[in-house]
Amino acid sequence: MGAADLEEFSLLLDEKLLRFMDQLELLEEKRATLNSLIEQGWFSMSKARYSMGNKQVSPLQYASDIEPLICVHARTLDNGKEEFCTERVKQINESSKDVTSIEDVGPQEQGIRRRNKPKKNMAEKEKDDKANNKKGPKETLVVKCDQNPQQDPLKWFGILVPQSLKQAQTSFKQVIELSAEIATLQAAVLNTRQELKNSMKYKLILQEKASAPQTDNASD
Amino acid sequence: MAGRGKLIAVIGDEDTCTGFLLGGIGELNKNRKPNFLVVEKDTSIAEIEETFKSFLTRNDIGIILINQFIAEMIRHAIDAHLQSIPAVLEIPSKEHPYDASKDSILRRAKGMFSAEDFR
Repeated sequence: MGAADLEEFSLLLDEKLLRFMDQLELLEEKRATLNSLIEQGWFSMSKARYSMGNKQVSPLQYASDIEPLICVHARTLDNGKEEFCTERVKQINESSKDVTSIEDVGPQEQGIRRRNKPKKNMAEKEKDDKANNKKGPKETLVVKCDQNPQQDPLKWFGILVPQSLKQAQTSFKQVIELSAEIATLQAAVLNTRQELKNSMKYKLILQEKASAPQTDNASD
Repeated sequence: MAGRGKLIAVIGDEDTCTGFLLGGIGELNKNRKPNFLVVEKDTSIAEIEETFKSFLTRNDIGIILINQFIAEMIRHAIDAHLQSIPAVLEIPSKEHPYDASKDSILRRAKGMFSAEDFR
């Protein structure tokens, strides 16, 4: 190992250090955004509490069955880094529309029926029926699913909640998404730190090796 | 739970927990165990630590959010957790603003430039 190799390795080490600094800077920026968003959320929640009453926005209002509306996917990338990303769960109402359909079995005709229809009209009607059958299958009624376990948490606090509580919810939704980004960044910072630590140790070994022949020569 | 994703757990004061639950992270599983802990004045440190450790052992939790002043109470447990999953995030609380110098991750990163790293 020569001095040139050592210099090249030092450059690589500098590059890693710069990357580490960039990650720390980005982490600090995201942290500041997260803190301001949380503060905004609390402020909106306090406003809601002021208008709704002290006990109306408290843990006493939590539902007895709570289902998560957001989940986080943690995966390890090829370079060994961890990545966290959030995903919102789709509301059951949207997905179950096709499943909960009931066939209409009532009378097809509406209005007053005429018992003695002229033959000409009957023939026209038959034609119309045939045309309708060709158009497509029978229409079905869609029944909305009222018992939705994944209820919007906003409804725990009432049906008509103030706008400020909705604003608080929006702020906290943003905080949740940001927290996944911060978790990714934290993992990256720790990863880069470990890389730097190992590189520094290796550089020390290189330096010792590079200086060893010089000292041997000096002693001769 | 949808998409085999992991949960976000939260240990915090009343407003922090309410806010995050409004955001939609809350869950009560089959055993009626929640993924959140509302820390009140009478909540003991042992209870907080036990909950934190139970969150660490649960494999359906990806991120743990904890108020920094509560994290200070169980600092030894947080420092002992070195795995990347679940990730532990310290967040501010209403009465206690966020202090980067107390954050366990940033303290570890700062340790990069200590004399020990050069040995």
